[in-house]
Amino acid sequence: MVLPILLTMGGLVFYPLLSTAWDSLHRVNPMQAGTPFVGISNYTRVFSDVEVGQAWLNTFKYVVIAVFAETVLGVLAASLINQLKSGRQWVLAAVVLPWALPGVVSGVIWQWIYSPGPGLLNGLLVMIGLDYEGHLWFNDSTSAMLAVSVVHIWRMLPLTIVIVLAAMQSIPGDLYEAARIDGASRLVMFRNITLPLTRGAIAVAMTNATVSAFNLFDEAIVLARNSLETRPILLQIYLEAFKKLNFSYGMALSLMVTFISLAISLGYVLRIHRSTRLD
Amino acid sequence: MRLPKPNLILAFSVVLMATTSGIALADDAKPFAGQTVSVLLPSPQDANMAADFENATGIKLDLQTASWDDVSVKISTALLAGTAPADVTEFDWSWTGQFAAADWYTPLNDTVDAATLDDIKGSTIFNVNGKVLAIPYTNDFRVMLVNKKQFADAGVTVMPRTLDELVAAAKAVKAKGIVKYPIGLPLSATEGASTSWYLLTKAFGGDLFDKDMKPLFTAPDSAGYKAMAFEMMLLKEGLVDPASTGLKDSEINETLFAKGLTSIMISGEPGRLGAYNDPAQSVVAGQVQAIPVATESGKTRSFGLLEGLGIPRNAQNPEAAKEFIKWMTSKDYQIHNYANGVLPTRTSALAELQQQGKLVSGEALVEQAPTVEALFPSGAPAWYPQFSLAVNTSINSAAKGEITVEQAVQRIAEAAAEAVKQ
Repeated sequence: MVLPILLTMGGLVFYPLLSTAWDSLHRVNPMQAGTPFVGISNYTRVFSDVEVGQAWLNTFKYVVIAVFAETVLGVLAASLINQLKSGRQWVLAAVVLPWALPGVVSGVIWQWIYSPGPGLLNGLLVMIGLDYEGHLWFNDSTSAMLAVSVVHIWRMLPLTIVIVLAAMQSIPGDLYEAARIDGASRLVMFRNITLPLTRGAIAVAMTNATVSAFNLFDEAIVLARNSLETRPILLQIYLEAFKKLNFSYGMALSLMVTFISLAISLGYVLRIHRSTRLD
Repeated sequence: MRLPKPNLILAFSVVLMATTSGIALADDAKPFAGQTVSVLLPSPQDANMAADFENATGIKLDLQTASWDDVSVKISTALLAGTAPADVTEFDWSWTGQFAAADWYTPLNDTVDAATLDDIKGSTIFNVNGKVLAIPYTNDFRVMLVNKKQFADAGVTVMPRTLDELVAAAKAVKAKGIVKYPIGLPLSATEGASTSWYLLTKAFGGDLFDKDMKPLFTAPDSAGYKAMAFEMMLLKEGLVDPASTGLKDSEINETLFAKGLTSIMISGEPGRLGAYNDPAQSVVAGQVQAIPVATESGKTRSFGLLEGLGIPRNAQNPEAAKEFIKWMTSKDYQIHNYANGVLPTRTSALAELQQQGKLVSGEALVEQAPTVEALFPSGAPAWYPQFSLAVNTSINSAAKGEITVEQAVQRIAEAAAEAVKQ
């Protein structure tokens, strides 16, 4: 029973991971003959590479913005949907739609929304009397970063909602009934019943949000192309490997992204595990 | 019909010999009939290309097209993965050093004869150590394109020869309210921003590197520095659309210039003249003309960005691929393909178009042609993509006000030094 899982994981996860780790210790560049061992130089190079440093900084900003927004908005949206007595499936279907769209499609849709000329966003802001005629959202590093983040959040928020909503629906109604009899307000019930009993799901959602924010790529390249001010680390890896052909450097960066996102995610899981275990 | 001028015929007839007879494919010689060849090229391409090719050779054509940047991505990722993106692919001048070093493409020395290579002068740019890695099919040297009607409406009667005159003309167009942003200049982090800066560097009388590949653009009085400062001045003066920080060159060509929303394309592609002047494809038909690149001194300069056709080493059908290259670079097809905005690379094809009076702005092209230089006289270096990426991201950052011109050129110089070191 375990063998198929071991073979699948070994072939599709562990072998490529180990192979990538091994190659990252060599110089792999199709333009240069041979693949000499270079030790950890592909890893130490990160500290002197200004572009990579900027891409890491951008990525950490994306992670903080996306994880915070997706968690807060996801829990609130799940709570609201959980209150619905009828038509919940239709609301869920509509909410899940952005998640079902490929990242490039989301980027193209929002490119039109952010467009300085006929764009929807500027049009709405002008309609309510604000001076946003022809405003360029991507000519300022802060607003560009936020604009890319919004698209990513819009795309990934549904997953948080679905995960948290599933946990909310498994909370026994008796608990709320008892709290109501004791005179608890909605806020108190949310804080003392809903949140503690959905912590595990929230941790899973935050883990997912973290990993997906570290993997942000489509939205950034469609909306801002290779712009350094919005370039996430995954786009930098792509440029290193496929434009500059520094393949092993790209591999080293990929492994760093993997381990950093896993380490941060593990932090959530352990924290939630400690605060929710029954003993 | 416009009669050809003697100097035009002379310029285009230098190597007009009986060189093309071997290229034409006779109907009864279709050794690869029934086979299929896959081709990956930048868009747009002739809508009837597949049918015409099949009629000529009996070979079915599986044509895939995308924007130049997207084609570039598709090719490099496939080649790195050890697969052929198609049997025939685009092969840009800027990839020569990188692709030659990686040994990704099949030499085409036995695909075309010496007379053809002689007729296609630019083929030397793809020749690395005697191996011809691609055959040029589009003759993309740069000129400036102007909307002469908008110029006339603004009272500009003499075409600019200097950059000062160019700016004055743009200001006149803007002052008259004919268009809001008279100059089209890509400033996004894409290749088009790089090539525009290279052209302006030439226009300011300089070059990018010396013979030892040392950057020549970091000093404030250098041509490259002045070129970037010039771009930022155009932006600050409101002559260039600030939204250009997000637009590729093809988008500026198609959504601004072809719609009459801008009057001057700084880095104009002569191949687009045919499409611009076709009423079915453009709202500015009859209004567009090429002018030689305006420079600081008034003496025009330009550089070439030839695009070729190559066959990846692991192409599935290399023999049919060779037939496609022969067909697409034949004189007859090049003359036909000019209507699609592809300027012929064959001197003989250009001469015939000029004789037929079909070459739009022929005089300007003839004046520009002898001034076309190679950006890298000894061939595009393997580190060109790194350099170009640093150029366009730095221009993009400077245009958004994130860094100064001085910081931008410094960043480019550092990236070039790092790239050379590797």
